[in-house]
Amino acid sequence: MTAYRIWDPFVRLFHWSLVALFAANALFVEDDSTAHEWIGYAIAALVVLRILWGFVGPRHARFAAFLPGTRALTEQIGDIATRRRRAHLGHTPLGALMIVNLLLTMLAICISGYLMTTDAFWGIEWVEEMHEVFVTWAEISVLAHVAAVLFESHRTGVNLPRAMVTGTKRVPDDIRIVE
Amino acid sequence: MTRSKEDNIPLLMGLIAVQSLCAAFFLWDVLNDIGPDGLRALANLHIAIEALAALALVSAIVFETRYLMRLLRRKAHLEDQVSIAAGAFHEIVLAHFDRWGLTPAEADVAMFTIKGFSIAETARLRGSAEGTVKAQLNAVYRKAGVSGRGALLGLLVDDLMGAPLIERAG
Repeated sequence: MTAYRIWDPFVRLFHWSLVALFAANALFVEDDSTAHEWIGYAIAALVVLRILWGFVGPRHARFAAFLPGTRALTEQIGDIATRRRRAHLGHTPLGALMIVNLLLTMLAICISGYLMTTDAFWGIEWVEEMHEVFVTWAEISVLAHVAAVLFESHRTGVNLPRAMVTGTKRVPDDIRIVE
Repeated sequence: MTRSKEDNIPLLMGLIAVQSLCAAFFLWDVLNDIGPDGLRALANLHIAIEALAALALVSAIVFETRYLMRLLRRKAHLEDQVSIAAGAFHEIVLAHFDRWGLTPAEADVAMFTIKGFSIAETARLRGSAEGTVKAQLNAVYRKAGVSGRGALLGLLVDDLMGAPLIERAG
């Protein structure tokens, strides 16, 4: 095992705060309460900060470092097809797609949710429907994200959930490393 | 010929992604339609046709994904070979692998071995332990019914030259 410091404190704080706040709003907090609104604002602020961090943050947090091309995607799926084990130090190409998807979906939820509180859009059905569709999409995405993280951890032997807690990826010595 | 097939990979990946979204939507729609009536709702022709279409789409996605995985396995070994001879040899080798029932990992290991990589090199390229590669290689030899690397190569080369040694070996 070799340890690599990958995730900076902000990325980890962002990840787990988003988990807690999204779970709170989707599952526990009353939908038309003020708590629901404030949690929504907090999520919006977090996502905006994360997007800024994607331009100015350390290497592995930057979009420029992890937004994948078709070549990288092809190679990762090829590794899965041939059962080859290669570890990505930062986000994997498929994982990066999921991050972009989740960030955009969170923004869409926040915007549609905010519109529901404005005079102009209050009580208008399609806004409410958009909000619910995006939330359902986010829930499906979260399930897919968790399943993919477990699959990749099993496939490569790198404990990815642990890395998102400690910031350090422990990579088995016989594995190949990409980047 | 083999080139054009592999140029389709990004297109195929995109298609699978879009179709998965559509399939998820239609399945969700069908499940909503079926609702409290359970399977009896399928007596409604409209719902039955919707359900059938959704299932057909799902099986198309499964089929495409398997095809994509095949293409990617090919690509993993053909990256630097463009000659027709290399492509033809590769076809024959893959046909044998299929017949022997090699797993994707065993096929990958066998391909590296045929290309002359040592066990240590194969392990490094695949990111696995040498012991794992040895075990996989032994399974390949056992399934092919040969004693070792030389015999495996002989079998494949003979077949390429038109002498169906495989019939006698099998």
